Amino acid sequence: MNPIGTEPYVILSMVLFLLGALGVLMRRNAILVFMSVELMLNAANLALVAFAREWGQVDGQVFVFFVMTVAAAEVAVGLALIVNIFRERRSINIDDLQQMRG
Amino acid sequence: MEWLFLIVSFVAVLAAVMMLTRQNAVHSALFLIVNFGCVAFLYLMLDAPFLAMVQVTVYTGAIMVLFLFVIMLLGAETTTDTSGRMRWLGLAAAAVAIALLVIFAFPIASDLLADDKPAPVDARARLRVINAVPGGDGETFTMVEMGRSVPLEGAVALNVALDALDEGQSDRRVDGVVYNDPRPTIRGYSEIAAGSYTVLAGVRAGEYVSAPIFTQELAAAPDSAHTVALYESAAGMIEAALLEDDISAPAVGKMRLSLFNAVTDRLVSLVEVGQYRDLRSLCDDSACNALLPHRVLIERLPVGEQVSIELEEGSYNLALVDDEATVLRALPEYAAERGTVETRVLAREPGIPGSLPSYRASVFNAIAAPAYGSPESVGQVLFIEYVLPVMLVGVLLLVALIGVIVLARPDALAQAERRRVNRRRRVNRPLISVIAQQTGGDVLGGEYVAKLPGGDDEGGSD
Repeated sequence: MNPIGTEPYVILSMVLFLLGALGVLMRRNAILVFMSVELMLNAANLALVAFAREWGQVDGQVFVFFVMTVAAAEVAVGLALIVNIFRERRSINIDDLQQMRG
Repeated sequence: MEWLFLIVSFVAVLAAVMMLTRQNAVHSALFLIVNFGCVAFLYLMLDAPFLAMVQVTVYTGAIMVLFLFVIMLLGAETTTDTSGRMRWLGLAAAAVAIALLVIFAFPIASDLLADDKPAPVDARARLRVINAVPGGDGETFTMVEMGRSVPLEGAVALNVALDALDEGQSDRRVDGVVYNDPRPTIRGYSEIAAGSYTVLAGVRAGEYVSAPIFTQELAAAPDSAHTVALYESAAGMIEAALLEDDISAPAVGKMRLSLFNAVTDRLVSLVEVGQYRDLRSLCDDSACNALLPHRVLIERLPVGEQVSIELEEGSYNLALVDDEATVLRALPEYAAERGTVETRVLAREPGIPGSLPSYRASVFNAIAAPAYGSPESVGQVLFIEYVLPVMLVGVLLLVALIGVIVLARPDALAQAERRRVNRRRRVNRPLISVIAQQTGGDVLGGEYVAKLPGGDDEGGSD
């Protein structure tokens, strides 16, 4: 059995999640924001797998499978949106996209 | 193992930081790929090989290739973050993130440093009872001895009780694993909580086991499986053996065959013969000078013991033989199915005294639990318990696919613009005609005097 407990994985997952959140808040490039979201999803997946092993149930891994599927769909749609926005405005700086600001 | 985890996690965090700080988006994407690879490695360390594979193929393969493709398509490699506004947001975000990390990680870290970690409470172990006593009967337990059938008094059954040793489990005394099958048949495992027990086998008398014939400590580790096998000793008494079973998945393409010997006076061997000529003997000729060519799979198994072998998938002519090369039981065209775990118990049939003893090799199947995290186990949970979510995710992917196709049409923007213009025209034309109709004049003409309905025409000239 794996000698490493669940806690180091959870801490690592937390660090990666916060780095991803930092990326979302700090970067202005829409593609980089997207990549940071992917980093956050991966961190959550890591925590799910760690907890799945803690409980000896495969359900956590199944959830990770679902998260990956949804992430794939999200990336496809999101990147298509980014391409369209870039076509129209010649920029993917999210500070330039203010037309929906209330 | 610890140093491996430390190195991999350090690389993962380093790659994430590098991803965040690179100005070139392509470099960021490449560092993110490194990060995903590290996470896949951690999945491997967490007993999730299937997810590690999916992570590499889906994330680092498909998704990141899509990212790189879009970055290079848009030429957005060096879109800088120099908008100037909201520079304070980064510092604030960093401060909040570090505060969150401290708040969340501190309890975990302090718990990590503490040594008294309780064991997972839901760990289960398995136990089963196999009766290999000749003529064993659940209700009226009889022992065949020298041709006389000696029924024990009353309606008694052989009972295997578990006495929990741990103080925390004292309220979980399990004494319900009662043998009730009249004949050795397929019998599944009973699930018990992992822990230490005392296994008692004896004749059941009311609520307790009186004068147990067998007592042994059992340390039931999580996910372990044990068998209590009851058999007849040479003196005609009941003996019991506590065996540890291997119910993990056999190697790929193989089956696992366990043999338990309940025949008292013989050492049993399991041999594979090419072709039977005589189901009673392995001898080639009547003088028994030469044995049939055979391959020994299990050699000289004493009574009360169990041995496991793994067989390749296929069909075998097996025979259980004793030391005199007498076939006790033939298993012609034995079909070895991949992935199964089977226990064969060789026991003597309660025969008529004076006749040749006959033997049976009863089958006890144990469905092999697929290895934790293997594609098989994930697939079983996915397609048995989570069928509906799988369908919904499939629909979601389909919708996303259609959405991307709609979004990515080359003339999508131009069409939208044309539609907007058309709408304006369509609105304009009727408006003009409506005004013209109501005012009764040619709106688009040169000399146009508005005639408001209900108004006084002459009043305006004053």
